[in-house]
Amino acid sequence: MISIALNEWARLFLAKRGWLAIVAFSLVWIVFLMYVIAPAARYLSSPEMGGLIDLILGRMGSRTLSEWQSAEMGLYWMFSLFLLPFFTMVSAADQFASDKARGTMRFLVLRASRTQIFFGRFIGQYLIQLFVILVTFVSVIALIAYNAPENVAAALQEAPVVLVNLALVLLPYVALMALLSVFAKTARQATLLAIVGWIMLWFIISYVQSKFGPFPFLDWVLPGSQLTSLVRLAGWDTLSLAPIPVAHTVVLIVIGWFAMQRSDI
Amino acid sequence: MSLINTQGLSKNYGAVKALDSLDLVVEPGEPIALIGPNGAGKTTLLSLLCGFIRPSAGSAQMLGHDAGSSALRGKVTALPQDAHLDPRFSINRQLGLFARLQGFRGSSANEEVQRVLDTVLLSDAGVKKPGELSHGMRKRVSIAQALMGNPELVLLDEPTAGIDPPNVKIIRDLIRTESNNKTFVISSHNLDELEKLCGTVVYLNEGKLVETGPLVATSNDGFLTIRLPSAPEDQFMRECKKLSGVLDVQRQAQGDYLIQHTQGQAVDQALLSMLAKNSWQYRHLIKGRSLEDRLYG
Repeated sequence: MISIALNEWARLFLAKRGWLAIVAFSLVWIVFLMYVIAPAARYLSSPEMGGLIDLILGRMGSRTLSEWQSAEMGLYWMFSLFLLPFFTMVSAADQFASDKARGTMRFLVLRASRTQIFFGRFIGQYLIQLFVILVTFVSVIALIAYNAPENVAAALQEAPVVLVNLALVLLPYVALMALLSVFAKTARQATLLAIVGWIMLWFIISYVQSKFGPFPFLDWVLPGSQLTSLVRLAGWDTLSLAPIPVAHTVVLIVIGWFAMQRSDI
Repeated sequence: MSLINTQGLSKNYGAVKALDSLDLVVEPGEPIALIGPNGAGKTTLLSLLCGFIRPSAGSAQMLGHDAGSSALRGKVTALPQDAHLDPRFSINRQLGLFARLQGFRGSSANEEVQRVLDTVLLSDAGVKKPGELSHGMRKRVSIAQALMGNPELVLLDEPTAGIDPPNVKIIRDLIRTESNNKTFVISSHNLDELEKLCGTVVYLNEGKLVETGPLVATSNDGFLTIRLPSAPEDQFMRECKKLSGVLDVQRQAQGDYLIQHTQGQAVDQALLSMLAKNSWQYRHLIKGRSLEDRLYG
């Protein structure tokens, strides 16, 4: 299982497509950092603009940015909660799809159990997502060090809460892509299934809630359903929502593992 | 302990019965030819044995263990049909992963990769990506992965399909050499090739077992097959029928003649004398019938 997990890193870093994905994400992230987070942090630092944005976010139910000792870290927290899952849905989409379509999976199945392959790849992909979280976090710390060095220490104090929560948020998305890539023929198809499936489920749940509801448990069915509640919380209180992504992950991973056992290779 | 033992093994794809209650027992030994027309169930059988697909009914065991069980890892390997290595990575990297999964550690994994590449005469191919190799070379690399470790049983699905003659010869020689210490099951449409390699035949048709047993069957007694590139057909058949013990002469495909003679009576010496007398050159003379003629003649 360790060999398979480590091979996920090789699949990312040694293949041209992997490098292209890294370069593309890095460019997008740099642009995002320079033209979204940095200017927004500057606006927030000015009392009149900061007050306005705080008011809007407050109306939306979000924890206000002024509560963060570093505006950059606050913005990173809010944006990454919603942006990184999308990156995960793209980058973790090819856990099994193309190998199954190409027949490469057959070479692996002759040497490792389907359980080892399934969990090996899931763990490998999750470690890659943790690496992405770490890289983006370090880039924000670098931005803070450049713009407001006096806030670095405060930002680092917030780091454990931010990193642990982001790690929990991405967990079910990696599990979702593991499940979908058992069925999909290509990575693109798996990503498409994830997005379309998510939107369709959201519509169905909204319809059921409005027509027959309310059913409180339905509010927590979709991966990421805890995010809007998460942004209202601060510090380690955020972990009160941790059971939701963990439960999503367990359900998705069990279904994915079962599908892997039953599927033709 | 049987090499392969299936009981009532069936696989349905919707309404289509790809394999229909197959009861098969194969013992270890010489390479085994798995033959049959398209859709006979050869690839389905091999896929079931490898655990790639699940049976609709029945069971399959290899070396005393259920097909697909972890006890068979390293003991049974395969060249699956239409399975390709990842085009993005070098052969060394991919075979290296397979070696590590089979229990080779550190430098021994690299050594094992080099050993199997040497075996298939592709010592320098390790640094290349699959796309940089010809179809025949890629097939040999796929065979190389099946030779890793010390498997007792190697299942080869169409190892020579679409391969040029030089590569076919390399693969044939390789199987012949390696079959000293492991048993090969070879699925192929190339019956000539299988006759050269195999000692046992398993013949499937429409998902059912038609025949299994030694390739040189007793039903071959009383037959000679001769290939003549230049002898006039009518004259040869006339002369042949005059020979003592010859019952019938028929023209077969590929220019072969099938001579049926009285069982127990040797007519080959008389036949060779007749050829020499008429200055007719023959290309080959086989005791018995070709596999193709036995099965489809």
